[in-house]
Amino acid sequence: MRILAVFEKGERIRHIGHLDIQRSVQRGLRRSGLPVAYSQGFNPHILITFASALSTGACGKREIMDVTMTEEVTAEEFLARINRAMPPEMQVSEARAVDQRYPSLMGLVRAAEYDLLIRDQETGKRLTALIPEFLARDTIPAMRKTKTKLVECDIKPLILSLRGKENHLYATLVLTERESCKPQMLLEALKQQANIEEDVRMLVTRTALLGEDDQGVLVPLEKL
Amino acid sequence: MDYREKFEMALEKVQKAPRYTGGEMNTAVKAWDTTPLRFGFCFPDTYEVGMSHLGLKILYGLINRESWSLCERFFMPWTDMMEWMRKEDIPLLSMESRRPLSEFDVIGFTLQYEMSYTNILAMMDMGGVPLETGERGESDPIVVAGGPCAFNPEPLAPFIDAFMIGDGEDVMTELNRVILRRKEEGWTREKCLRELAGLEGVYVPSLYEVSYEEDGRVRSVVPKAEGVPERVKKRVVVDLNSTYYPEEIPVPYTEVIFDRIMLEIMRGCTRGCRFCQAGMLYRPVRERSLEKLTELAEKLQEATGYEEISLSSLSSGDYSCLPELIRTLMRNMKDKRVSISLPSLRIDSVLKESLEETQQVRKTSLTFAPEAGTQRMRDVINKGVTEADLLEKVRDAFEGGWNSVKLYFMDGLPTETEEDLDGIADLARKVVGEYFAVPKEQRARGLRVTVSVSIFVPKPFTPFQWAPQDTIETVFAKTEHLKKVLNIKGVTFNWHEPYVSFLEACFARGDRRLGQVLRKAYEKGCVLDGWNETFRFDTWMEAFRDCGLDPAFYANRERSRDEVLPWDHIDSGISKEFLWRENEKSARAEVTKDCRKGCNGCGLQKWKGVCGYANSCGI
Repeated sequence: MRILAVFEKGERIRHIGHLDIQRSVQRGLRRSGLPVAYSQGFNPHILITFASALSTGACGKREIMDVTMTEEVTAEEFLARINRAMPPEMQVSEARAVDQRYPSLMGLVRAAEYDLLIRDQETGKRLTALIPEFLARDTIPAMRKTKTKLVECDIKPLILSLRGKENHLYATLVLTERESCKPQMLLEALKQQANIEEDVRMLVTRTALLGEDDQGVLVPLEKL
Repeated sequence: MDYREKFEMALEKVQKAPRYTGGEMNTAVKAWDTTPLRFGFCFPDTYEVGMSHLGLKILYGLINRESWSLCERFFMPWTDMMEWMRKEDIPLLSMESRRPLSEFDVIGFTLQYEMSYTNILAMMDMGGVPLETGERGESDPIVVAGGPCAFNPEPLAPFIDAFMIGDGEDVMTELNRVILRRKEEGWTREKCLRELAGLEGVYVPSLYEVSYEEDGRVRSVVPKAEGVPERVKKRVVVDLNSTYYPEEIPVPYTEVIFDRIMLEIMRGCTRGCRFCQAGMLYRPVRERSLEKLTELAEKLQEATGYEEISLSSLSSGDYSCLPELIRTLMRNMKDKRVSISLPSLRIDSVLKESLEETQQVRKTSLTFAPEAGTQRMRDVINKGVTEADLLEKVRDAFEGGWNSVKLYFMDGLPTETEEDLDGIADLARKVVGEYFAVPKEQRARGLRVTVSVSIFVPKPFTPFQWAPQDTIETVFAKTEHLKKVLNIKGVTFNWHEPYVSFLEACFARGDRRLGQVLRKAYEKGCVLDGWNETFRFDTWMEAFRDCGLDPAFYANRERSRDEVLPWDHIDSGISKEFLWRENEKSARAEVTKDCRKGCNGCGLQKWKGVCGYANSCGI
């Protein structure tokens, strides 16, 4: 059986990279004493997948992992034991037991919701005020980083929703293995709209990972 | 913006931000306002180095365990973070509650190697603590230090209020109690330091007067006041089973150098290698019991989730029931998928049996430290290992499926000749030969023999404390020779530039005047000297010149038997007579037996009940 668990990556540890988060979760599971399954082979590791890697520097409110167990564990038991074993910045808020046939999480992710806090109040207000005209554009060119170079792309179709309040931007952005829009790309495009050239400090919090239900409606992945 | 916000901003800009963020599993954030004594533990190097250090974990747990004291950690920031901190006026902050260093009642530095000394100044400077003892006022923290380099505290004497000499477990709490009383009773700094000087194992350098001969040698170091001991005797924890050992330790998010459980199985060493300072300073040998270790391993594994346990000591192979310990740990840990590793194996104590057991989990490269290339040279340094021993162990390893062997040597040892250097190459060649002697289908493919040669640094409290270090020119010439003779197929030669070793030699045996060189070097920008990319030898030489001191006086000069050494007022328990005797035997290439085979009269025999192998009648 498997457990789908919703966990947090707190603000204090937002600079921890995805590989380190993975290792920390593994160690947490080892501390918890839960009956986790290991891979075969010379360097056995816990059978665990993460729905999506969260960037270095970003916080996550509802990140999702999928852990394989060797025996039945209830969601309550999982929660109680894992939370004693995880640091305060990485607590698990929800868990759900699913069977082996449940599809892999990674293939289910379609989009992500973000709360983007612009650190400078004035700049934040200036950017949020621009949202209507920004969204009214036909195309929104942005630069996407590949492994070796910068490529121009249009992020207009990748912005599923965008609204602002004071110095917060609330965005739903496409996130699939094929194409995605990173918060930084959105910010750069907005900055261009506002003719801002200098650095704008932004705190990225990913608030949900979304998948498509039977009707094609985006819902939180853990609710599928 | 306050400094915490500025710090957050800097985190977005610097490399490796996680080394500054804290919040790791098993770190303690105790209530600041209700805990009367606040200790700032300072590791004068980067996070990755500091978090690999066992002493930090012991003292961190020990201080936080007391209801009346709290301990938070400080590390040396990397240069990019330092620039931000200076530019934005951000003070050095603790990892736990992000408070500036200057807000702590006592700050303690651990002294693991000489090349971290400028970092001590940098950390105090950034933390808002005046650098020198005499510059500190009543509201500044008391600055203490301990660790192996505290045995020659003199180069740091101007900066440190009190040194703790020897094992820290007991004296740490005693020292904190005195500083707590200072706070409660409103003692002056001066009164506090006088009280500290009364503790066994505590050296308060400002209470001693140093005088010099005309040629620069030390004439005397004498107490300035009554009640201050003439010699400060090191502290010894007699029973490792009853002393404190942490049962949970911080688990870093990012990979640090030693990212695993370190189980200290034993302290001290009975071998008596003559170059080895730790082997002298940590005497006598004391073991933790099998039961205690099994219990600690269990608890630490549960508290950390680590995948690996390493057995730690100066000479793990000498632990009296090593095979049984390894078997027990392997049995207990197998289902938890924890591997057991044995560092610092001495080649004459690697048991074939335990080799096979290690292999059960993971095949790592094997490390041997013959230290010298010829038997004569090994006798000079009392490294009781023969070529036959080494080759037998190497053969066993190759037959057991290992293909990677590391060999550690030193050059510049006293009495060394070209023959001894050639011996290093001969030994390497024989190791390669052992590999090819194993039938092809039996051995693992891809032989890798790594020969690392480091430069000998004479250290205080060793039989070589009087010896000159090779000059930089000589070291370069020897390295060139080694490069030639070590050009062997299958062998990689690692060598070191002599500059760092030269400075180490200066500071290891330096006197109090070097404190000014240290400060000068720091003011000229020297910092993080243990790192290639930041080490600036020329600046150091400038600092020596500015202070009118000659580094060769410290590094390359042979001392005479009757010279007052700058650390003579520190009592390591090992007598100067014993060290001199060993020095003379060394010149004759005469070996001294392992203490386990009978007492050699190192001086500890006069200290009742401390050494289990001591014979009270001496030799």
